[in-house]
Amino acid sequence: MTITPLIQTKDLCKSYDNDGVVTPVLFDINLTISKGEFVAIMGPSGSGKSTLMHILGFLDVHTGGRYFFQGQPTTTFDDDDLARIRATRVSFVFQAFNLLPRTTVLQNVMLPLLYHPAVPVGEREKLALQAVETVGLMDRKDYVSSQLSGGQKQRVAIGRALVTNPEVIFADEPTGNLDSASGIAVMDALQKLNDEGHTIILVTHERATAEHAERIIHITDGRIDSDTRNFARVIASEKNLK
Amino acid sequence: MRFRDTFRTALKGVTVNLSRSVLTMLGIIIGVGAVVLMSSVGQSIQGVILSQISSLGPKSMVIFPGPEGVGPQGVTTGFDSLTFEDLSELMKLKSITTVAPVIFVPAKTSYGREEGNPRIVGVTGNFFKNQELSASIGRLIDQEDLGGAKKVAVLGSDALDKFFGSVDPLGKRIKIGETYYTIVGALDLVGSQFGQNVDDRILIPFSVAKNVTSQKYLNLITLQAVDSFDLAFDEIRTLLRYRHGIINPKNDVKKDDFMVHSSEQASQILGSVTLGLTLFITTIAAISLLVGGIGIMNIMLVSVTERTQEIGLRKALGGRKRDILLQFLSESVMLTVIGGIIGMVLGVFLAFVISGIVRNYLSSYAFAVSIKSMVAAFFMALCTGIIFGISPARAAANLHPIDALRYE
Repeated sequence: MTITPLIQTKDLCKSYDNDGVVTPVLFDINLTISKGEFVAIMGPSGSGKSTLMHILGFLDVHTGGRYFFQGQPTTTFDDDDLARIRATRVSFVFQAFNLLPRTTVLQNVMLPLLYHPAVPVGEREKLALQAVETVGLMDRKDYVSSQLSGGQKQRVAIGRALVTNPEVIFADEPTGNLDSASGIAVMDALQKLNDEGHTIILVTHERATAEHAERIIHITDGRIDSDTRNFARVIASEKNLK
Repeated sequence: MRFRDTFRTALKGVTVNLSRSVLTMLGIIIGVGAVVLMSSVGQSIQGVILSQISSLGPKSMVIFPGPEGVGPQGVTTGFDSLTFEDLSELMKLKSITTVAPVIFVPAKTSYGREEGNPRIVGVTGNFFKNQELSASIGRLIDQEDLGGAKKVAVLGSDALDKFFGSVDPLGKRIKIGETYYTIVGALDLVGSQFGQNVDDRILIPFSVAKNVTSQKYLNLITLQAVDSFDLAFDEIRTLLRYRHGIINPKNDVKKDDFMVHSSEQASQILGSVTLGLTLFITTIAAISLLVGGIGIMNIMLVSVTERTQEIGLRKALGGRKRDILLQFLSESVMLTVIGGIIGMVLGVFLAFVISGIVRNYLSSYAFAVSIKSMVAAFFMALCTGIIFGISPARAAANLHPIDALRYE
C-alpha cells in the first residue's frame, strides 16, 4: 500500500508579473512532505522560502508546475475550497504575530473558529481555552495584545494556530522578532505540537532555529540546494532546562 | 461565518473607533433627522389647513372686497367694493343657495375689569349655516334678533374663555363700544380660517352692526354653492364685474376689486403645499443621504486600507470572500442604521419642540409624526449603507490574502 504524501510538488515555479515585468522567484521545486514531519525551509533573505511557504499554505498560487495536497491537485480548488482548507487543515504563525489589536488573548485565539464550518458555536470558547492553556497563557487570557510581551504574543499566535487542530502548521520566522529565551519557548511549543502529530513547516533564515527541525531544506535563489535529515536535532525543552 | 458572528464583528468594527463612527454617521443623522422633522412639520401644517377647510364647510365660499394679492387678512377693512346691492343681486344667482353678509364693528370690548379686542362681527342666520357653526351653550342669533335689532351677542370660544372663563355667560351683559349686549350663546371651537383665529370674535345681529357703523358697504359675504364651484365662481365674477364696471375679458382676477375663495381652493392649496413639502423633503433627503453616503463610503475605504492586514489575517484563517464582504457591508449598514435611528429620534424631538413654540402663535398647530416618512427615511438610510458600503466591502473581499498580509 502506498502512503499518499501530505504535500507534494512537481517542478513548481512562481514568478511575479509587475506591469509586464516578470520576476521569477521559484524554479522547479520538487518536494515531498509526509504527515507528521517537522521541516525547516531555510535560506537567505530573498531566496524564495517565504513564497514557497505561502504557496504550500494556500495563501498564494504557483505559476508553473504542480502542487498536490493529500494527493489532490490544488489547481482544482476554487476560492471557497482554498478558504475551507485554510480554515480547517492548515494554519499559520507569522513573524509579526498578526494579532487583532484591542482584542483579548482569548478572542484572538478564538478567531479562526469563526470561520471553521464544523465547530459548533457552543464549543468555541472551550476549544480556545484549551489552546490558551496549551501555550501557558491562562493567567493572561483576558489581556489585550498590547499588554503582552513579544514572546507572549507569539504564544497567542501559536494558540490561534492550533485551536482548529490543523494537519499542518506553517511558521514563518516565528522567532524573528523575539529574544533568545522567548524564541526557545516558541520552538519548544512547536516541537510539542509536532510530537502530538501536527506537521510543522518552519521558514527561517537562522541555522540555530532550523536545527530544531528533523529535516532541513535549503533554498538559494529560488532553487532547492539541499534537502537533508537533521540528525543533530536541537530539542528546545532540553535547552530550556539548561 | 454565521450571521451572528458577522453582526458582532461589524459591531466591534463600529464601536472600536466610536468618535469616528459618530462623525461618519452625522450625514445620515442630519439627513434622516431633516426628513422626519420636515415631514412632521408638513403634517402639522396640513392639519392646520385641514382645520380651516373643515371649518369652512364643504360647499362654502367667501367673497372678500379688494383686489387679489392683498391677502384675505388685509381685506377685511379699508375696501368698500362690496355693497348691499351686490348682496341682493347675488341672492338671485341660481348657483348659490344661501348668502350671508358680514360687517365688522371696530370697537373695544369689556366685561367688568376685563378688556379685549375680539373681532365684532355683524351676521345673519345664514352665516351660521354657511360656516357650519353651532352653539356650545345657549343659542345662535335668530330672525327675531335681526328684525328687532336686538342688542344680543354670541361669543366665540376664545372670547368666552377670555371674558367669562368658567362662569356661565348666558344673560350677562358685555360692553362693546359704548353699548351693552346680552349674551345669548357661545360657539363651539372652530380653529382658524385663512390664517385668522375665528374663535376670538363676538357675533352680533347684522342689523345692529349696520346701525352702529352706519356702513354702506360689506366687509365680506359668505355663500353656499348649490353644486358646482366652477359655475358659482363664473356667475359671481360675471355679476360683480358687471355691477362694478370691470372689463376683464381675460379673466385676470388681479383686475377685480373683489376676491372669491372656496373650500375647494383651500383643498387645492393643501394639495400644492403637500406636494411642495414632499418635493422639498425628498430633495433634502436625497442630498443629505447622498452626502452622508459619500462620507460613509470614504470612511469605509479608509477603514479597509487601515485594516488590510486584518483582512489578510482573516483570509489566512479561513475567511471567505463573502465573509469579508458581509463584515464590511454590515459595518456600513450598521453605521447608517444607527445613524438613521438617532436621526429619527432627533427629528421627532425637534418637531415636538417646534410644535410647542408654534402653538403659541397658531393654536391649531398640533404635533404630528409621519410614520410613513419615518419608515421611508429609515429605509433610505439602510439603502444608503448598502449602496455606498458595497464598493469598499468588495474592495476588501477581493484582496489577495498574501498581498493583504504583506501590506504596510
